[in-house]
Amino acid sequence: MTVADFQALSPLLVLAGGATVLMLQIAFVRSVSLTAALTVLTMALAALSCVHAAQIAPLQVTPLLQADSFALLFCVLFCIGGAATALLSQDYIRHHGDEPEEYFLLLMLSTLGACVLAYAVHVASLLLGLELLSVSLYALIAYPNKSILPLEAAAKYLVLSGAASATALFGFALLYAATGTLEFTALGQQLDNTQMGQSVLLVGAAMVFTGLGFKLSLVPFHLWTPDVYDGAPAPITGFLASVAKAAVFVALLRLFLDADLFRYRILVEITGFLAILSMLAGNLLALLQTNIKRMLAYSSIAHIGYLMIIFMACITSDNRNLASEAAAYYLVAYTATTIAAFGLLTLICAHQVERENVELHHISGLFWRQPLLGGLMLVAMLSLAGIPLTAGFVAKFYIFNAAVSGHNWVLLATLILGSGIGIYYYLRVVYYMTRRLEQHHVQPTVVVSWHAKALSCILIAGILLLGTMPQSLMAYLRSIL
Amino acid sequence: MMESLFYIAALVALVATVAALTRSNAAHALIYLIVSLLAVAVLFFLMGAPFAAALEILIYAGAIMVLFVFVIMMLNLGETGDIRERQWLRPRNWIVPGVMAALLLLELLLALRHAPTLTSGVAVAPKDVGLALFGPYVLAVEIASMLLLAGLVGAYHLGRRFIVRREGRSN
Repeated sequence: MTVADFQALSPLLVLAGGATVLMLQIAFVRSVSLTAALTVLTMALAALSCVHAAQIAPLQVTPLLQADSFALLFCVLFCIGGAATALLSQDYIRHHGDEPEEYFLLLMLSTLGACVLAYAVHVASLLLGLELLSVSLYALIAYPNKSILPLEAAAKYLVLSGAASATALFGFALLYAATGTLEFTALGQQLDNTQMGQSVLLVGAAMVFTGLGFKLSLVPFHLWTPDVYDGAPAPITGFLASVAKAAVFVALLRLFLDADLFRYRILVEITGFLAILSMLAGNLLALLQTNIKRMLAYSSIAHIGYLMIIFMACITSDNRNLASEAAAYYLVAYTATTIAAFGLLTLICAHQVERENVELHHISGLFWRQPLLGGLMLVAMLSLAGIPLTAGFVAKFYIFNAAVSGHNWVLLATLILGSGIGIYYYLRVVYYMTRRLEQHHVQPTVVVSWHAKALSCILIAGILLLGTMPQSLMAYLRSIL
Repeated sequence: MMESLFYIAALVALVATVAALTRSNAAHALIYLIVSLLAVAVLFFLMGAPFAAALEILIYAGAIMVLFVFVIMMLNLGETGDIRERQWLRPRNWIVPGVMAALLLLELLLALRHAPTLTSGVAVAPKDVGLALFGPYVLAVEIASMLLLAGLVGAYHLGRRFIVRREGRSN
């Protein structure tokens, strides 16, 4: 390992070092505010160190990791997502569990796992990153120890996610048996001159895809999503829906791009089929929910469905840059929006210990009671629905553009249909928020701390900026792809 | 010769796993699970990975499974536990796993006599494993250490829930 290698890995090193410091700090002094401050500081440092690492990118560090601008962009995104989650959790976790300090340590470790996934160009690093992310999430989901629901959600997630990892591992083992290599690029080259025949490859690839599809909660594998999202603590649900999914998606996209799996038409058509199922089922099931957390769970399934269009759009090789650009923009916009939506639920639920149950009528009149929180939810909902002037609109437009230039008309039609259904249930939330005072039950006013207020303002500004002035990010994405 | 040994061990592994899944008694299921892990270790050995075989026995069959058996035995203390334990130790309960384990031992001895022959690929000595782990894969070791830290902290916090509750009850 040379100095350049260390420089290229600096975000990962900062996060790992931060986790160690945090562990020692917890061992000596227990203080939630100190731990939270250290966490946010470390994540900010890690995000800044990406700039430093970008100077020497692209650089392959050992066969496992590749530090290029694409990976670093997502590292920044994941670190910011982690920092926002840590800020939001501070009040919440004090009320929901005793000894809340380890929560931040686990959050740091799962962010590290997400960043490893962004760097991964080797099956070993992909699996290790995936496990680091998931194992920390099992404990984070079960963290609040004053009610039983999170434990149930964590048990469900543990069993299903473990089975999914095992399936993916089996698939990779088959691919390894056929090709004799675990590096993405070499794997792709060896696939053609293997002696074991195409059937093994397809079975292996299908198993890998099933395993990762579970983590992304694509439709036939989505059954865990609503229960786990409902039971998990709200800030962790936001992290699970945004950062964890984005990390798995980035790793999957890189596997497909590096190994050039787009050659296998049937494999890509499976992704397209799952995209259609996810868009339709996610949106239709979201219509039936009155619990906002469950509604957002189904809506996240639909959003990953929109994102899966990218794979079909990548089939023609000259469309690939546009498609990856669209995926990157969509992931940035989706992460910001999801963290905003779940952030609001976190702030509302901070004092509900037994069961976090945010029904639609709980937020009625929120706009008049607490304009800032109402504004945050309004922007998040409009962005999820893809209304102009928000990040979600530009992101959806990008996907639309990629699908048009890839001539994926069926997918495009489903996207439009899904978005149409989506507008109804997103705007229903906005409608409830704007109801007049006399129409709603009296709800206790939530006291919001100054850092949560600041974070809300930043999130609103971020989503609006991404929606109104997307040029600089677009230009940056074009320059790195 | 080696191939037939491989397939016999694979068959033992499959049968033992199915038996482990279908037993209604947890202690019996665990015995079958241990046999299944031993069979997988023999498979590794025949495929030229003695280090992986040793780890399989040391960590899975040895440490983790013995811990499981220990906990289950600990839960059945007292007079009724003694009777139940005598029932568990009836010959018809241990004779099948015993025969399977004996078969695996026989295979291992046969394989050791014909030492260098392999069923597939090349033999990987422990030294090669070490060189790979601390050469090109050193970052994997580091990430795995973070993974273990996450597991440890998570297990501590989840286990604490029950410790705290028990203390609260005794007060």
